This record gives sequence, C-alpha cells and structure tokens, in this order.
Amino acid sequence: MGEAIPIVEMRNIRKSFGGVQALRGVDLVLHHNEVLGLVGDNAAGKSTLMKILSGAYIPNEGEIFIEGKKAHIINPWDARRQGIEMVYQDLALANNLDVAANVFMGREAVSVKLGPISIMDEHHMGQETQRLLDRLKIDISSVRLKVESLSGGQRQAVAIARATAFNTKVTIMDEPTAALSVAAIGKVLDLVRELKAQGCSIIIISHRLEDIYQVSDRMMVLRHGRKVCDTPVAGDIDDFRERVVAYIIGARDDFAEGVSKQPNNEHEEVQDIVH
Amino acid sequence: MSTRRFKISFIKDVNKILRQNIREWGMYIALLVIMAIFTITTKGVFISSRNIGNLINQTGYIAVLAVGMTLVIIIRHIDLSVGYLSGFLGAVAATAMVSWHLPVYASIALAVALGVLAGIFTAFLVAQMKIPAFVATLAGWLGYRGALQLVTMSKGTIVIPNAAFNAIGNGYIPDIPDIGILPGVHKLTLILGVLVILLFIINAINNRRKMRAYNFEVLPMHLFIIKLVFVSALVGGITWVLAGYKGLSWTTVVVLIVVLVYNFIMSRTVLGRHIYAVGGNPEAAELSGISVKKITYVIFGSMGMLAGLSGILFASRFKSATTTAGTLFELDAIAAAFVGGASASGGLGKVTGSIIGALVMMSLTSGMNLMGIDISYQYIVRALVLVAAVVFDVATRNREKE
Ligand SMILES: Nc1ncnc2c1ncn2[C@@H]1O[C@H](COP(=O)(O)OP(=O)(O)O)[C@@H](O)[C@H]1O
Ligand SMILES: [Mg+2]
Repeated sequence: MGEAIPIVEMRNIRKSFGGVQALRGVDLVLHHNEVLGLVGDNAAGKSTLMKILSGAYIPNEGEIFIEGKKAHIINPWDARRQGIEMVYQDLALANNLDVAANVFMGREAVSVKLGPISIMDEHHMGQETQRLLDRLKIDISSVRLKVESLSGGQRQAVAIARATAFNTKVTIMDEPTAALSVAAIGKVLDLVRELKAQGCSIIIISHRLEDIYQVSDRMMVLRHGRKVCDTPVAGDIDDFRERVVAYIIGARDDFAEGVSKQPNNEHEEVQDIVH
Repeated sequence: MSTRRFKISFIKDVNKILRQNIREWGMYIALLVIMAIFTITTKGVFISSRNIGNLINQTGYIAVLAVGMTLVIIIRHIDLSVGYLSGFLGAVAATAMVSWHLPVYASIALAVALGVLAGIFTAFLVAQMKIPAFVATLAGWLGYRGALQLVTMSKGTIVIPNAAFNAIGNGYIPDIPDIGILPGVHKLTLILGVLVILLFIINAINNRRKMRAYNFEVLPMHLFIIKLVFVSALVGGITWVLAGYKGLSWTTVVVLIVVLVYNFIMSRTVLGRHIYAVGGNPEAAELSGISVKKITYVIFGSMGMLAGLSGILFASRFKSATTTAGTLFELDAIAAAFVGGASASGGLGKVTGSIIGALVMMSLTSGMNLMGIDISYQYIVRALVLVAAVVFDVATRNREKE
C-alpha cells in the first residue's frame, strides 16, 4: 500500500511575493482517497501552497506530479483539467446568481450554438445541480434560490458541491469552517466525510484542530513557509492537540533536521515575482 | 367569514410580495405616479396620443443608451462619454451623407462601427491599463465634445436632406389596407400590441411552471393573475394610445429590436450569464475561467455601438447634426439605468428595467416642458431623481442583506 503512487505530489515548492518568502521549499504528498489536514499559524503559507496546486499562483521553483506524471499547472484551467478543484477561503461564489448558475459558473451547459452566441441549457443545469445536492445530502430548498439568500453553511456547501461536480479527483478546501456556526460546521464536516466515502481525495486547511482531527487521515503543519510536521491523525484528541500546537507555534522544530536540510535564510535569494 | 379571511391573507400576500420585489416594482410605480401627476397638472395633454407618441420617440435615443449603460453598470463600471460620443457619431453620419455623399446604409454602418471602435478604446484603457472607468470616460466626454465641435465647426448645424434617414426618427410603420372596421386607428400597431401581450402571457406562464418544478416559491395564483392583467393593460393602453395617433414609429421598432436582442443575450446565453457573473464577483468569475477582460471589451464595445445608434436616432429625429447634440444624454442614461433597477454595487440590472427607467426620465422632461418649467429647475429635478434612485438602490440592498 505504501508503494502506491500518490495522487498528488508537490516537491520543493518555493514562492515569494516581492520580499516576502511565503514558501521556502515545501513537499506535499496526498494519497488516493485520503483526507489530508493542513494547519499552521496565520501567514504560514497554507493558502499560497494550495493556490499553487490549483493554478491560481505560479511557483518560483518546484515540481508537481499528478498520479506520478509531471504536471504543468499555470492557471486554474490546467488544474481543473487534471481534476483539481479548490474551494477558496473567500468563497468564490457570485451572490447575484442562483445555486445552479454558481455550480455551473464558467462551464455552462449549452443547448444551441450560433456562432459566438451559445444558448444555455437551463433545464439540464437545474437537474444536474439538484442531483448533485441530493447526492451530497445538501439541504437547499431550490436550485433557483439566489446564493445571497442562503445561510453561511449553505453557501459553503454550494461552494464545495461546485468544486466536486465535474469528475474531480482532488478537492482542496481553504478554511471551510471559518465563520460558521457550530451546527453548520458539523454539516460541512459531514460533507467532507461523505465525499471521502464516495472516493474523493481531499486537502482541508483549518485553524480548528478538532475539525482536522475529526475528518483527516493525516496532517501536516506549515510554519513560516516550511513543513515542520507530517503525521497520521491518531490517538487521543488532547495528546494530538498538544503535540500539533507545539509545532504550530514553533516550540518544537525537529522535522526538517536530517530529512531535508534547508538553507539558512541569509542564503536565500530574494526572487522577483513571476506573473 | 371566509371572504374576510381571504381578504386579510390577500393583503398580507400583497404586502409581502411588494416588500420582496420592491426593487422590481418600484420603477413601475414611479412611472405610473409621474404619468398621473403630469396628466393632472397638464389637464390631460400629457396623456394625449400625440404627446405619448412624441414622448416614446424622444425616449428612443436615451433608451438605447440606457440598455448599454445598464450592462456597463452590471459589471461595476460607468461610461460618462456616451453623450458626446452619440452626438459626435450622429455628426459623422450627417457629414458622411452630406459631404461625402455616402448612401444612408453606409453612413449608418460607419457611425456604428466607429462607435464600436470608441468602445473598444475605452475598454483598452479600463481593462488593459487599469484606469478607473470614470476617469477614462471623463476624458472621452471631453474628447468627443471637442470632436463634435470640430465636425460641425464649418456650418454650425449640418442639415440632413435625406428622407429615408430622417424617417428613422420621424416615420411610422405602414398600416394594413383599410377593411372597414376601426377607421382612423392604426390596425397593424394594434395587432402587434396584441401579439406582444400574448407572447408575454405565454412566457410568464411557462416561467412560472418551470420555477415551480424547481420548488421555487412563486407568486400566489391570484397575484400572478393581477400581474398579468396589470402588464397586459399597460401594454394594451400604450398600444391603443399609439394606434390612435400614427401607430408604431420606426424609432420604437428599433428600440424594441435592441431590447429583444439584449434581453435574450442577457437571460438565455452563456455570454449574458458570464456578464452577470463578472458583475457579481469578478474574482470568482476569473477563477472559474471567465475572462473579465474579454467581458469588459464586449460591454464597452456594445456601449459604443449603441452610442452610434443613439446618435443616428437623434440626428434623424432633428434632421440635422448640431454642436450640442448629445449634451447630458449620459446623465439621463445613467439615471435611467438606476431607476430601472441597476445597482451601483454591480451584478444587478435588467434590459427591460432600463427601458422603464428611460421612460421615467423622458416623462419628466416632457411633462416639465409641457408645464413650462424653467430649464434650470428641470436640471435640479433630474439630479434629484438620479440621487433618489441610487438612495433607493442602497436602501433596498441593505435591507435585503439583513
Ligand atoms: N497575493 C499576495 N501578494 C503578496 N503577498 C502575499 C500574497 N498572498 C500571500 N502573501 C503573503 O504570503 C504569506 C503567506 O500567506 P498565506 O499563504 O495566505 O498564509 P495562510 O493561508 O497560511 O494564512 C503571507 O505573509 C502573505 O502576506
Ligand atoms: Mg489562508
């Protein structure tokens, strides 16, 4: 089992924004049908790492392999073609459109094409969206409701459903439980479990260790743009929390030693931003 | 007893629906109130066939601008340049016919094509150079004003002698031959009006059925019927008034075609959906693979094209191009878009709404002219209407968010 080719492998990813080194050589592995938790303090580089995988940012250095094959991901479309979808932290939904329109945003079903004008197949999109919501057990009364009239939890569910709608292999969720009520958090975590049960591979970023503990198989910690811990999620929640918090706040830093020696900060060059 | 309970629930329904749909219905209410006030203050002159016919013809050149402006506002921009651009392009069409002896069709095509180019140039400044649209188009406002004065400099006013061209702004569609019934009434106009009402009813019933299939809360049956009757009566009334004068003008035909085409694009096509998506959340649209730049080019290109059309309608109506053509059109178009339900925060607005908004603005102008109100007060009233529309937008948006 350990020999199986991972669905995603990122190697030595580096990314700077002007003088800020957001990522300083990070490796990441995600196995088939695995839920990986990604934690770390604010500005640790979690979102940046995931935006590189989803094609929103281009890394300065590093390689990405999808199912063992080297992938060139330079925009969200490349990532999407590889089956990678991301639910962004600030919810990439258009509030003025209804649920179905959001699920199909950018990939509208077309019934008739007249030159540059494509007529939408609303019926198909409505039905497919309804089927998707049913499959994921998402409770929204109508796919014709505008997203702005939904609750925070329902919006998050729509964003996740949208990300898993089109033969997605890997779903990335950036802080899906931030700013939600306790009940809504429970529903989102149920949704993550449901997706795993249906065979998805998932990376979930969260501040809330108990969320990660509940749904993840493995967890990795980023600190100042570096991976400081990569461990299976097991054992008692209190032990788990204590151990992980030590890595998050930097009280413990024994991971990098011997595994992959990082150069000192002074030696790292300040790289120009690549657009 | 049960009728009383029905009455109470009916009033509750109306109240609730009005609250929920105040954005959509507010403009119809505003239009009716304005029309009623002017009808009273002018002792019925305002509602006469002749005045309504003229009013609708005057609305034409603002209405096409308002349609384009609504789209611009949907994607969170503004275009201040369209007034003088419209005036300038009308003058170009006039010059093409009078000085260069181009045929009518070529002159119209030239003005419209130049309009598209002007719009693409604006889009270049906005999308490529990242200049705020109000600055880029303020420059356009100044530039096209200068260009208009250059074109009309030698004569001051370019008189257009071409009858076919002038018919666009002054002519009416022909009638079917007299068959003895309804003498003195424009029968083709009546037939078209009835067709429009039928299409509207069929479309509304279809939509209602579809929305119900999706579990979507629709208007209760009695309110739905009231809405159908209300809109049918409005269209029927206008048709009857027009048929009593000279019938449907060519200007109205042009406006109706623009409305039909734009409404179709905005509600049924992928392009329209992408425009709303960009207006609702540009970052999300971009991440979904929609090119915000491309949409910006399309929207400003269409705005320029409609400015060309507006310039032609105006020049044709006054059978000439003047140095002041297009002055303040942009204000009326922007006000029309906001009165018609477009939102300053983007993503909201309908083509049909902008036409109602344009009717509101032109009713104000026409009514105040009939009442002999001084132009200085007219400016102030129009400014207040613009402010009121935006305040209404902000207030209803805030309430919806709660
Ligand atoms: N688009 C950007 N431009 C400039 N700096 C950025 C950008 N995105 C992220 N950063 C910087 O990179 C660092 C890591 O940010 P981020 O990945 O968002 O952290 P996290 O998601 O772990 O809180 C931060 O210092 C942040 O300010
Ligand atoms: Mg983040």
